[in-house]
Amino acid sequence: MKAFSDSLKALACIGLLLGSAGSHAEETFRVCADPLNPPYSTKEQTGYENKIAQLFADQLGQKLEYYWFPQRIGFIRNTLKAEIENTDQFKCDVVMGVPVGFDFAKTTKPYFHSTYVFLIAKGRGWDDIKDPSQLANLPLQRQEALKIAMFDRGPGTAWLQKQGLLDQGIPYQSMTGDDQNNVAMQIEKDLKAGVIDMVILWGPMAGYITTQSPADSYTMIPLRSSPSLKFDFSMAMAVRYGDNERLKLLEGLIDKNLAHIQEIIKSYNIPVLPIPAQAHRDDDDD
Amino acid sequence: MKKPVKSWLLASTVAALLAAPTVSTANSGVEKLTQNPANWAIWGGNYAGTRYSKLDQINTKNVKNLQPAWSFSTGVLRGHEGGPLVVNDILYVHTPFPNTVYAIDQKTQSVIWEYTPTMDADVTIPVMCCDTVNRGLAYGDGKIFLQQSDTVLTALDAKTGKRVWSVQNGDPKLGMTNTQAPVVIKDKVFTGISGGEFGVRGFLAAYDIRTGQLVWKGYSMGPDEDTLINPNKTTTWKDGKVQKVGPNSSTSTWEGDQWKIGGGTTWGWYTYDPDLNLVYYGSGNPSTWNPVQRPGDNKWSMSLWARDVDTGEVKWVYQMTPHDEWDYDGINEVVLVDQKINGKMRKTAVHFDRNGFGYTLDRETGELLVAEKFDKTVNWATHVDMKSGRPQVVDRYSTEFNGEDENTTDICPAALGAKNQQPVSYSPQTGYFYISGNHLCMNYEPFEVSYTAGQPYVGATLTMRPAQGDVMTGKPDNSYNLGQFTAWDATTGKIAWSNKEQFSVWSGSVATAGGVVFYGTLEGYLKAVDAKTGKELYRFKTPSGIIGNVNTWEYNGKQYVGVLSGIGGWAGIGIAAGLDSGDESSNSEGLGAVGAYRSLSSFTKLGGTLTVFALPGK
Repeated sequence: MKAFSDSLKALACIGLLLGSAGSHAEETFRVCADPLNPPYSTKEQTGYENKIAQLFADQLGQKLEYYWFPQRIGFIRNTLKAEIENTDQFKCDVVMGVPVGFDFAKTTKPYFHSTYVFLIAKGRGWDDIKDPSQLANLPLQRQEALKIAMFDRGPGTAWLQKQGLLDQGIPYQSMTGDDQNNVAMQIEKDLKAGVIDMVILWGPMAGYITTQSPADSYTMIPLRSSPSLKFDFSMAMAVRYGDNERLKLLEGLIDKNLAHIQEIIKSYNIPVLPIPAQAHRDDDDD
Repeated sequence: MKKPVKSWLLASTVAALLAAPTVSTANSGVEKLTQNPANWAIWGGNYAGTRYSKLDQINTKNVKNLQPAWSFSTGVLRGHEGGPLVVNDILYVHTPFPNTVYAIDQKTQSVIWEYTPTMDADVTIPVMCCDTVNRGLAYGDGKIFLQQSDTVLTALDAKTGKRVWSVQNGDPKLGMTNTQAPVVIKDKVFTGISGGEFGVRGFLAAYDIRTGQLVWKGYSMGPDEDTLINPNKTTTWKDGKVQKVGPNSSTSTWEGDQWKIGGGTTWGWYTYDPDLNLVYYGSGNPSTWNPVQRPGDNKWSMSLWARDVDTGEVKWVYQMTPHDEWDYDGINEVVLVDQKINGKMRKTAVHFDRNGFGYTLDRETGELLVAEKFDKTVNWATHVDMKSGRPQVVDRYSTEFNGEDENTTDICPAALGAKNQQPVSYSPQTGYFYISGNHLCMNYEPFEVSYTAGQPYVGATLTMRPAQGDVMTGKPDNSYNLGQFTAWDATTGKIAWSNKEQFSVWSGSVATAGGVVFYGTLEGYLKAVDAKTGKELYRFKTPSGIIGNVNTWEYNGKQYVGVLSGIGGWAGIGIAAGLDSGDESSNSEGLGAVGAYRSLSSFTKLGGTLTVFALPGK
C-alpha cells in the first residue's frame, strides 16, 4: 500500500469527475499548495511557486486564491481532484509544480529544469571533495566517517548503492508526516547540527538550504544523469485531465513569461538547466 | 473536515442509560463473553479469529427468508471497515475518521451514548494513505477500546461512553496513523501501527487495560532488544526444521541503518491462544520502497509472529516474502484452529497472505506444515520450498531481476494481494476456511516519474487487470471477474470450491452452525452461501458498497446478522479505476472487460449504514 495506492485513488476519481470538468468561474486563479513547503510554497506566499502563481493571476486580471493542504500521499486526490460539496467546483484548478510525466494529473509543458545536486557542508573535513565520484575511492577510514543523507526512493540512494556506500548512508524518509516540518527544513537542520555532512538533494531543496546560511557555507555540485540513473527532471504545472482549455491558457502564460519565471527561480539559488526537448508520450493525445 | 472535531456526550445519555440493559462491571473476561454466541465481543468472534458462530436459527433452508430488521446511519461518508461488537445486548458501532463510537440499545435501537474523539483533521488526514478507515473496537473490563486514526488509544466506559484514559501510541508527525482494531487479552490491550509509506517501523504494543501504561513494545525489525527476539529461544523454520534464529536475525538482513525506517507495520488483526499464552499477527512490507535500494531479506518484514502475551518475547517468527518486490503486505490475520494433518492432530495457525499462498503452521513451534496457492493464477513464485520455507521466485515476475528499465508485466496477484485485510472465516462443520479474495494481476512499470513531497524520483507505476484465469487451475479462461470467494482446506492446501465475484471481495465473512456463510460485496450485496457447496442462497442490496465484516449475534432469542456498508478504503476508490491507465483516452478503451469494471460508482455510492438482518416473524 504505497505510492501506487495513491495513484489508484487519483485515477479512481477520473471517471467520476470528467463530466463536470471545464465549467468554472473565471474570476479567480485557484491554486492548491502546501502551506509550509519552502522553497516551493508557504502560506505567507514566499515560495517561488507562489510568486509565479501571482504573476499569472496578475496577467489574467484574476484574484489569486489558495486551497492549502500538506503535500503528501494523496495530495492531488485531496486537492485538485476533490470536489467542493454541493458545487460543480473543485478545491482548486491548478497545482504549480509537478514533474513532467507525473500521471495523477495532466501536466503542461515544462517551465524549468533542475537536477539533484551533491551538497556538502564546508569546513567539516570534506572540502577536498570536488566530485561525488571521489567518495567511492576514499580510504576506508574516511569512508566510514561519511555522514550522508539517504532518501527512501531517491536517486541519491541508488547512486550510493552503485558506489557500494549504502552502509554509510543515514536514512531519511522522503516524506515527513509532520505538517510543520518539510524535508528540506529537516535536512537543513540536520546539516547545521552535524547529524549529516552531505546530501544528494533535489535542486530546489538544495537551493533553499543554501539560502538559510551565510553564503559559501556549502559546496553544491550538480549530478549528471546517466542512462541508468536519472537526476534531472523537467517541472510543469498540473490541471485535471480533460481541462484542456486551462492547460492551453497556462502554456500560453508559460511561453510568454519563461524568462521571468527562470529569473524568479534562480533568485532562490536553485540550479537551473536548459529545458530539454520533451519526449513524446504515446498516450498523451487527449 | 478541516476543523478539529470536538468530543461530546449527548445530553440524553444519562436518561437512556437508566433504561439500558446492564453491562457486566466485573472483569467478565472476553473469553467468557465469546463463549456465549449471543455476543460478538471481539473482531473475530473469538480469540482464535475463526469468525464462526454456533447460532443456527438462520440455516441453509430458511436463509432465503432473511429480511432487514433495522438499520442505522453512521453519518460518515468514508469507507466503513470492521463491524459491530455485541456485548450483553448492547451493540457498539464505530465509524471511519472522525472515529465516532455509538453504543446502541438493541431493544429500542436507539443511541445510549456516542463519543467522538478530538482529532486534528489537518494533521491526521494528510498522513492516512488509503482512506480514513477504522476496523473496529475492542471490549474488555467494562471498557470499550478505540484505536483512533491519530494513534491515540482511548478506553471508554462501556456503560457511559466516558473516557477513562488515553495514551499516545505513536507520533503522527513521523507519519504514524492507526486503522486496526485493538484486542484485549488478559489485563492488556494490544495495538499496532500503520504508516509504512512514511517509513514507520512497525511494532506491537501492549498497554495495561486499567491505566493505559505501556507494558511492552516489540518492533518488527531492529536489534534483538527492540524486536524482543531472544536469540537463544526464539525459533524460525529453516533447513526443514524449527531452529533458533540466533543473534541479530533482523539487523543482519539489512544494509546499514535502513532497518530504522524499515516498515513492517502491523495494521492487521491479532489472535490469541490462551493455552499457549501467545498473541499472533503479521507484519507488513519493508520500507524503502524500491527493493533494489534495500538489499537483503529485510527481516522481519512480511512475517508471521507469535509473542508471549505477558512479556512480548517472540516465541517464533516466519518470513513469508523475503525482500518483497511486489508490496505483498503481510499483515493478514492468523486463525488458530486444531486440525488433523497427515493423520495427526495439530494446533495450527492458518494465514492467507497477500502473496497468494495459504500457510498452515504449527502455532506452538512455527513449524511449516502447508503452503499452497489459494488462487492458482498466482505466478510470482512457483511454490514455497517446504525445506527452506522460502518462495521460489520466478525471474520473469521479479521486478528486481528484470531491472529498472524493464516493464514487468502480468504479475499475479496484483499488489492488492490475492486477499487483503478482510478476515476469513472457518467452519468446524465443513473444515473449510472461507476466503474473501481478489483476482487481479498487475504490470509494474519502472522509470515513471513520481513525486513525493517536493522531490521527483524515478519510481514505478502499477496498473491492474483481471486475472483472467481459473482460480482452481490457473488456466486462462477469458473471465473478467476481479473477486473470488473461495473455500479452502488448510490441512491439504486444496480448494474445495470457489465463486466468482464481479469486484474484489473486501468484506470479512462469517460462518455459522446453520451451514451458511455470509459476506458482502463491493456493489453492496449481503450474500449468504451454502458452506458446503458455495451455492448462493440469499442476497440483499444494502445502501452502499460493503467493505465491512459480517457479524452475527442473538438478542431476545432471535439470531441477527449485521454488516456495515459504506464504500471506500483502498477497494472502493481503487479497484474499479485500477484498470484505467488514468488518461482520458483510456476511458474509452476496452469497452469489454475494462469498460464494464471501470467504475464502481455506477453500482454504489458513499454513506455509512449498519444493516441488521433477521428472519421474519415474532
